[in-house]
Amino acid sequence: MSRPATGGRGRWLLRRVAYGATAVWATSVVVFAATQALPSDPAMAILGGDATPESLARLRLDLGLDRPLWQRYLDWLGGVLTGDLGRSLDSGTDVATLLGGRIANSLALLLLALSVAVALALALGLFAALRRGGLADRVVTSTAVSLQAVPGFVVAVALIVLLATTVWPVLPAASLLEPGLSPFAQLHYLVLPALTLVVAETPYLLRQVRSSVVEALESDYATAARLRGVPERRVIWRHALPNGLVPAVQATALTTGVLLGGSLVVEVAFSYPGLGGALNAAVGARDIPVIQAAALLIAGGVVVVNLLADLVTVLLTPRLRTGES
Amino acid sequence: MNSQITRRGFLGGAVLLGGAALVGCAPDAQRQQAASPGTLQDGTPRRGGRLRLGVVDGDRAGTLDAHKPLTIGSIIRGFAVYSKLWEWNAEMNWSPALAEETEANADATTWTVRLRQGLEFHNGKTITADDVIFSARRLTDPALGSPWAALLFTLDRERIDKVDERTVRFHFKDGKGFVPFPDTFTNFGAIVPVDYDPAKPVGAGPYKLKEFTPGQRSLFTRFENYFKDGQPYADELEIIDFQDEASRIAALQAGQISLANGIGADQVRLLQGDPRVSVVVSQTSNWQSFDLNLSKEPFRDERVREAFRLLTDRKELVERALSGHGRVANDLYSPQDPTFDRSIAQRPYDVERAKALLKAAGQENLQVELVSGEGGDAAALVFAAQAKKAGVTVTVKKVDAATFNGPRRLDWTMSTGGLLTESFLSSALHLDAPVSAANKTHFSDPRFTELFEQAITQPDVARRAELVHEMQRIQHAKGGLVIWGFNDALDAVSTGVGGVVPEHTQFATWRFEKLWVKETT
Repeated sequence: MSRPATGGRGRWLLRRVAYGATAVWATSVVVFAATQALPSDPAMAILGGDATPESLARLRLDLGLDRPLWQRYLDWLGGVLTGDLGRSLDSGTDVATLLGGRIANSLALLLLALSVAVALALALGLFAALRRGGLADRVVTSTAVSLQAVPGFVVAVALIVLLATTVWPVLPAASLLEPGLSPFAQLHYLVLPALTLVVAETPYLLRQVRSSVVEALESDYATAARLRGVPERRVIWRHALPNGLVPAVQATALTTGVLLGGSLVVEVAFSYPGLGGALNAAVGARDIPVIQAAALLIAGGVVVVNLLADLVTVLLTPRLRTGES
Repeated sequence: MNSQITRRGFLGGAVLLGGAALVGCAPDAQRQQAASPGTLQDGTPRRGGRLRLGVVDGDRAGTLDAHKPLTIGSIIRGFAVYSKLWEWNAEMNWSPALAEETEANADATTWTVRLRQGLEFHNGKTITADDVIFSARRLTDPALGSPWAALLFTLDRERIDKVDERTVRFHFKDGKGFVPFPDTFTNFGAIVPVDYDPAKPVGAGPYKLKEFTPGQRSLFTRFENYFKDGQPYADELEIIDFQDEASRIAALQAGQISLANGIGADQVRLLQGDPRVSVVVSQTSNWQSFDLNLSKEPFRDERVREAFRLLTDRKELVERALSGHGRVANDLYSPQDPTFDRSIAQRPYDVERAKALLKAAGQENLQVELVSGEGGDAAALVFAAQAKKAGVTVTVKKVDAATFNGPRRLDWTMSTGGLLTESFLSSALHLDAPVSAANKTHFSDPRFTELFEQAITQPDVARRAELVHEMQRIQHAKGGLVIWGFNDALDAVSTGVGGVVPEHTQFATWRFEKLWVKETT
């Protein structure tokens, strides 16, 4: 993280945005190159094993696969810059339409899961930090460690059996979201996937919060504050917590980045129509325009999230906020 | 042609009912259903409600194009939207659908098809000869690039005669005969109007398209003027895409879908104790194989081929790879075809003879890579263990569908394979006939080619059977397909749906016009 120079916060931000854009562009090049390295070609992946050389040749022509690689990349880039993401090779649908709904679904799930996970992590992390070394701390910490060791799909299957099919069937087993309707209007489909993510992500965040708050509480400035007679409550809320939050913000950003493209396990387990599943399927089908667009979106999302996290960190850290060493 | 087929009855087709529903420990709603006789199998069709079918379509979203369905989900959606001149009956033979009468001339050089009277498309337009001609030409249009056009390679698309408003006559290239025209035209020969637009698909199938969200779901409404009187029954049909089989089964158990077609054999046991779901077993001639590439070592040597056939423990493969839901096969496809040679003895399981043959061929300690495509892993792994007993080391290499069917698809030395039930000639067109586009085994035999050319122009079943018998003897002795089993089609059906009956096809849950919702929820 670069430090904003005095009076140059605008320039700092601008530079960060430029770095981010460069990273996204570099991702697009790498992803495009990677799609070319995948075994099989889109025409064969689309037409399957029965295709004749003639129909394959025809499709390659239609898809423009006969043109040189750099030209295809430039065409694609030009399209993106003018807002045209192309058409899916598999279904022929407009990529923007195809991914639009899925992005909304992914973001809804992310928002729901993260807000619960972050709130839980803050509450439990702080709770454990204040009772560090005690029984409550040990229970919280060891539960977090054990939960972190459980793979996501196991959690998903357990929740399905518990709450959807067998033990107490109150929630849908598959998140068959009504297309065209806001995911928040069909919250019952979001509960189980969000719960799975909460179980999967809270332990990591919780441990980050706990360790950074502990560190802050035991720091020199906290001790100094106490010696000055500042009440413990004020030490915790005014000194320890804001500093303890910085690593938590960074951890949340990291988690968000992972979840943006990586809630695949949850999407598959619950048939949740999100971005990760779409990207995974597109790779299997060699649907290059969809792979490109999804990868670009995820990369862009990660950049934006990290930028936001850095901004929040700057605002939380007086030293960085004022630009003085 | 169809009348000559002996109906084998539904010997193997049994409905595995959810046990609990029968012994009465089910919730009230289910007990009531089980109490009224026959509701689980037949009952009186009732109108209304929404049918919900869950399909697993791998990584694909698919399309709605009538003539270019490239995924199983697309094909199933086509069963809702489109009707064809013929349809498959429960024995997997063709019978007239939109056609009233179809007839080949003496040497099958022409096929004449007359439409039923008063047929309509979804948009109200009457179906005429022009639409039939348009549909056949569209399917075979090089510009469309449908892979299924290859099956009709011999259709002369420039010479489809309109005899009158309802009658069409088809000719074939070079004045040659083409017996399997109905077989090859039925699967992908949806009849669509001359102004067909794949973006707004119109057909004559039991359901009209309402909404299509690729990769998620499609919604259809009943077509009131469907050509079969009184059908379909349900108001709506929803086809939902799943990426994962476990999720589909959970959705079925939770009542979110009412039908799951073609479930894995390993799911059956899971569902057997569930009173909400029954598994319908259809004994099919859909087969599974290991395909030996005859253009490569070690399979150029007939003795090695024979050894591989002998060391294949087919019974164990059916038991383990198909969880017992299938039958042993004898390296030959299309046993449902009236021309099938039943006198060819079943190849035994004989490791000792296999070893001797390998030794004679100088191939002791042989190492082979077996490439397994989607759905072939279980069989490949079982086979690898069997080969070990004959001293052959088989390494299983699992690849994704795109790679399996990719540029190397005809290069695999040994790979998993299979096909749905088709007539003998039609299967050969897919696989090992001289004109096949996907001849993975590189099988090529001058006598076989000669016989194929004759059989394809011989409409008389008895005479064609003689030719086919000789072809099958050649395939059995020298071919590259180790066809080890026929798998059952397993469909999971909610007790709330009626009309799903076992067949000898995989279509039990796709015949949307025949299915109904028992209670409207």
